Amino acid sequence: MKKRLVAIMLVSSMMLSMAGCAKNGANADEVKKNESAAFDGKLEKNVTIHVLENDTAIEKGYFKDLIDAFNKKYKSKGIKAVDANMDQYSDLAKDGPYGYGPDVIYQANDVIMKYAQGKHVLPLPIDKIEGHDKIPNCAWKAYETKVDGKTYTCGVPVNVQAPVLYYRKDLLPEDWKEKWDKNKDNIPDMVETWKGMYDFSIQRHAEDASKYGYMKSINDMYFSSGFLFSYGGYIFGKNNTDPTKVGLNAKESVKGAKVLNQLASVMNEDCIDDTITTNAYSKLGDGTYFATMSTPDMYSTFLSEIEKNYTGLDKKEAEEKAKENLVMTTLPTLPESGDLTADSKKEIPTKSMGGVNGYAISSYSKAPNASLLFVEFATKYKMIKKRAEMLGIAPARKDVASDVGGTSQQIYTNLDKNNIVLMPSVTAVSQIWTPGQTFFTDIAKDAFRTDADKKYKNLDDYSSGLDEMCKQISEAIKTLK
Amino acid sequence: MSKRNKLDVAVTYTLLIIVAFIFFFPCLWLILASFSKSGSIYSFKGFFPKSYSLQTFINLFTDTRMYNYPRWFLNTLFVATGSCLLGTFLTILTAYTMSRFDFKGRKTIMKSTMVLGMFPSFMGMIAVYLLMTQFGLINQLWGLIFIYAAGAPMGYLTQKGFFDTIPKSIDEAAKIDGATNFQIFTRINLPLSKPIIVYTALTSFTWPWSDFILPKLLLKEKNLYTVAVGLMSLDETQFARFAAGSVFIALPIVILYFCLVKNMVEGISEGAIKG
Amino acid sequence: MDNIVRKKGHFLNPDNKTKKIDKLNPQENAKGLKGFWKKSSIYVKLSFLLMGIAHLKYKCFYKAICYFAIEVAMIAYMANRGIDDVIGFFTLGTVKADAWTRVEGDDSIIMLLMGIFSFIVVALFAYFYVQCIKSSYKLQLNVEKGIKSKTFKEDLMEYLDKKFYKSALSLPIVGVCIFNVLPIIFMILIAFTNYGGTIVPPELVDWVGLKNFQKLLVLSKFGPTFIKILRWNLLWAILSTALNYFVGIGLAMLLNKKCVKGKAFWRAFPVLAYAIPGFITLLAFKFMFSYGGPINQIIIAHGGKAIGFLDLDARTSSRLIGLCVNCWISVPSIMLLATGHLSNIDKTFYEAAKIDGAGKFACFRKITMPYMLFVTMPVLLSQFVGNFNNFGIFYFLRGGLYKKGYFLASDTDLLINWLYNLSIDNNYYCIGAAISLIIFLITSAISLFIYVKSPSYREEDTFQ
Repeated sequence: MKKRLVAIMLVSSMMLSMAGCAKNGANADEVKKNESAAFDGKLEKNVTIHVLENDTAIEKGYFKDLIDAFNKKYKSKGIKAVDANMDQYSDLAKDGPYGYGPDVIYQANDVIMKYAQGKHVLPLPIDKIEGHDKIPNCAWKAYETKVDGKTYTCGVPVNVQAPVLYYRKDLLPEDWKEKWDKNKDNIPDMVETWKGMYDFSIQRHAEDASKYGYMKSINDMYFSSGFLFSYGGYIFGKNNTDPTKVGLNAKESVKGAKVLNQLASVMNEDCIDDTITTNAYSKLGDGTYFATMSTPDMYSTFLSEIEKNYTGLDKKEAEEKAKENLVMTTLPTLPESGDLTADSKKEIPTKSMGGVNGYAISSYSKAPNASLLFVEFATKYKMIKKRAEMLGIAPARKDVASDVGGTSQQIYTNLDKNNIVLMPSVTAVSQIWTPGQTFFTDIAKDAFRTDADKKYKNLDDYSSGLDEMCKQISEAIKTLK
Repeated sequence: MSKRNKLDVAVTYTLLIIVAFIFFFPCLWLILASFSKSGSIYSFKGFFPKSYSLQTFINLFTDTRMYNYPRWFLNTLFVATGSCLLGTFLTILTAYTMSRFDFKGRKTIMKSTMVLGMFPSFMGMIAVYLLMTQFGLINQLWGLIFIYAAGAPMGYLTQKGFFDTIPKSIDEAAKIDGATNFQIFTRINLPLSKPIIVYTALTSFTWPWSDFILPKLLLKEKNLYTVAVGLMSLDETQFARFAAGSVFIALPIVILYFCLVKNMVEGISEGAIKG
Repeated sequence: MDNIVRKKGHFLNPDNKTKKIDKLNPQENAKGLKGFWKKSSIYVKLSFLLMGIAHLKYKCFYKAICYFAIEVAMIAYMANRGIDDVIGFFTLGTVKADAWTRVEGDDSIIMLLMGIFSFIVVALFAYFYVQCIKSSYKLQLNVEKGIKSKTFKEDLMEYLDKKFYKSALSLPIVGVCIFNVLPIIFMILIAFTNYGGTIVPPELVDWVGLKNFQKLLVLSKFGPTFIKILRWNLLWAILSTALNYFVGIGLAMLLNKKCVKGKAFWRAFPVLAYAIPGFITLLAFKFMFSYGGPINQIIIAHGGKAIGFLDLDARTSSRLIGLCVNCWISVPSIMLLATGHLSNIDKTFYEAAKIDGAGKFACFRKITMPYMLFVTMPVLLSQFVGNFNNFGIFYFLRGGLYKKGYFLASDTDLLINWLYNLSIDNNYYCIGAAISLIIFLITSAISLFIYVKSPSYREEDTFQ
């Protein structure tokens, strides 16, 4: 399943747009006029729109509800939406020009913006979208591209993708309110700070050698790079637009690398390769792991894995019990000192890599106006809310986020606070994955080397490791330019 | 002497059992994994699942909403059978001609096919894809059959080696009797080469059966997928289903083997009728 | 028994014949060409313009129709797209497409591809054109001499007899040309363009000459990695081919022993392995050797420490596992083939050897091996080629690592994996094509040398 993993990693994580969105959002009025000539407002008659949705939405039945509702409403106009029935990671740039692509695609912003560079997706008249004002500027910015000095928007944000922490409430120690809540804010320390998580992982494993606290494959660049960002690391210079400068080793990012190594030391060897990425669902379900990191769209998968363990109950009861015990929350905070073994004096927020998923319309569509109608329909309050409820995603619409509340709202806030670093929109970003994975594999492995073999003994060692990774990335970018 | 013989037999059988174990164990592991009740590979104890059920196989064939395995299976069967028939025909024809006829450019063809095989094939995939878009053969199972069959003659060397061992004296005798080359091929050599035909058919059936790069490239629609592509598109949590799909994909080849094994092994040796 | 291999008795030797013909031809041709203008009738000359007219005149109607049809088809093709395709091959497009403003532009890559295709069509037409002139001239001479020309039926019969090789090979050759040769030419030409990176359609691609090769030479990144990987690649190809080959033959011999009962049963186990698609086997083995896999689970259950069989420090163990897994996958088919061949050896050889007092090993070395080497040489070679370009094994077992000292590769990657990292993963097609061209030249030279020297190429009839 390696290939698949790579594909998922590449696609789901090549997120783009400038970091630091929110405050400096472009004036929407400026953008307004820049739409494709394809949208002349004349609805095509008797057309079938092929929509490429993501697998989870299809599997959980949301997509069927969506197209049923759409088809019912627009049957009289002769417009019909169907499943494009293609692989969710199909490449529009390869299929579209020859007439084999879908009309409407749902994808992460980096993928859509990669298409936008080749003009494979159409710039949209975004002021026609119902939730235009409800979606924050930073989310819109993720879909903006500049061509000849004009700004175009090529997608409609639907939901925010960022790493979140999943943990089992029922596996918290019974006395956590006394022993694991130092600041008495009613949030257990282990899910509030990484220091707490570290200590709890040691304790849980010491009590029962077959059980673990926090578990996550460290080699995963998408999830691990956030630790470097938290201490000042960045991917490319000039707000992620200048690939000649690679900044994963900038400022104090070595601290992040060390924290990862310390976290690896409380796991087992499984964190060196992809093992935990694939077994986290079932192991969290059977209680072997207490917590792991994943993305919001995996909520339903975790849920069903927990349900499988409630054998005595009927389906509905099991579902309710699982919902009660599975908690999805934002990431714990990091100690400023960068050392999980010492007491922390000051906590800083954990940053993470992230993205915005949304709809876009193919330039090769024979029915752009009908496709636009579909996108408008699918991003209405009602449908987004339904999507959030059925799939557990974090919506990009403010009104839905606050209605759904909980983690969705927290993620929304994080996006607002710049704690979610959206990936660069330059093609050079494809060079960071393998060097990153190699480095993180190495520091994870180091936690299990004997003292004599250890490669990373002090911060300088981490520093040279990071430098080596950055060198690999910039050499690759320079050479292949 | 008999003591030595007994020892020999004992050693032979020990070796056989070891070999059988080496080849069978990973297969057994896959088979048992496909019957796993939990569906997750990480709930196994050591190599094998804790509890078994048929549920995965039932799901494989009934739960077709996301993964339409029966459909994929039929697609694969169609593609494999088609390219087996066409590919075997072309390969045998090529091998026979290269073995029996002496014409200008023969050695050049032999050398160039050798060299062409060295080119990293995936580098040409882009060109194949673009060609197929121009011929309108994307999303067509026929397109796949064409490509597999067209590539098959490249591997004619094994078959040529076989024809090389059929004595030419038979041909010459027939020629004196006034038979044309076409008749010599169809009436005399073809019946003699049953084993190699079977071997060729088996190999050219297996190749499309297990290839996933080409179908992935040319088949966009999910319900046109072959089993290999479909299995690769399975979600990573669905290990038991993956295993079940893999076990079932192997079944036709094993059945084919047992049907053809006699022809195959005997056949190749028949080629050795000394002239 | 050694002399089996060396016996060069009565095999057909094409070289002698063809040389004679070659010597004769030029003189005849020169004479023919001069004489041609003088002797040929106006109709034959008219055939240069209107194919088939001479055939019509000399009452060879079916050929006239065929040639005329070919010319019409060619003109139609050229007018329809042929001319554009040929021009497109050189320009690679002039108008950039813009989907937003609905400007339909040129797709450089399609133009390159269809340009090559048009050259193939032109070459094919040229062949028929020359054939047409030749045949009409011959027809004229025959008519003048009063020789009756062949009827349609006779001509057709000839394609089943004397020219059977032509009719038999035409279909395979056309297929191979379109689906194997054309893509290879395409990729070779890509090495001389700037296709890749940000320059992919709708951007226009251009010819850049030898710039990509210059880049490879000038940039010091490629050289050391190339040498390191090539060394390992050669070692791998030789080791894995030898291992697969000898294990396969050994297994076949073991199963061929007289004392083994139920051969079909024992043989079924390797066949089972053969029946499971390679990528599934590879994924399964990768999982078995992974940190959370069953082997490590057992080690941990017995109080051991998990071993990273395939992780980033495990160069040697990964290579060994790669060899073994590849062996597991390839041995069954070699065994099946070898089984058949083994029973082919004339038993009298062994009996004679026994009388001479040769032991079992001597028999193997002197009889079995030379014979097997001869009959399975093609298999050995295709194994070598297949292993040299074995993409799947390390891609599945140990992908996603770049090692220090390597440029975009790990220490188990083969050249083809490196190529994949460069060209497909990163979309740098032109550089990838340039490297693959270099690799291709080296490897094909090696294998061609071995092949031409091999007895099964030089002495095709040894074991008749």
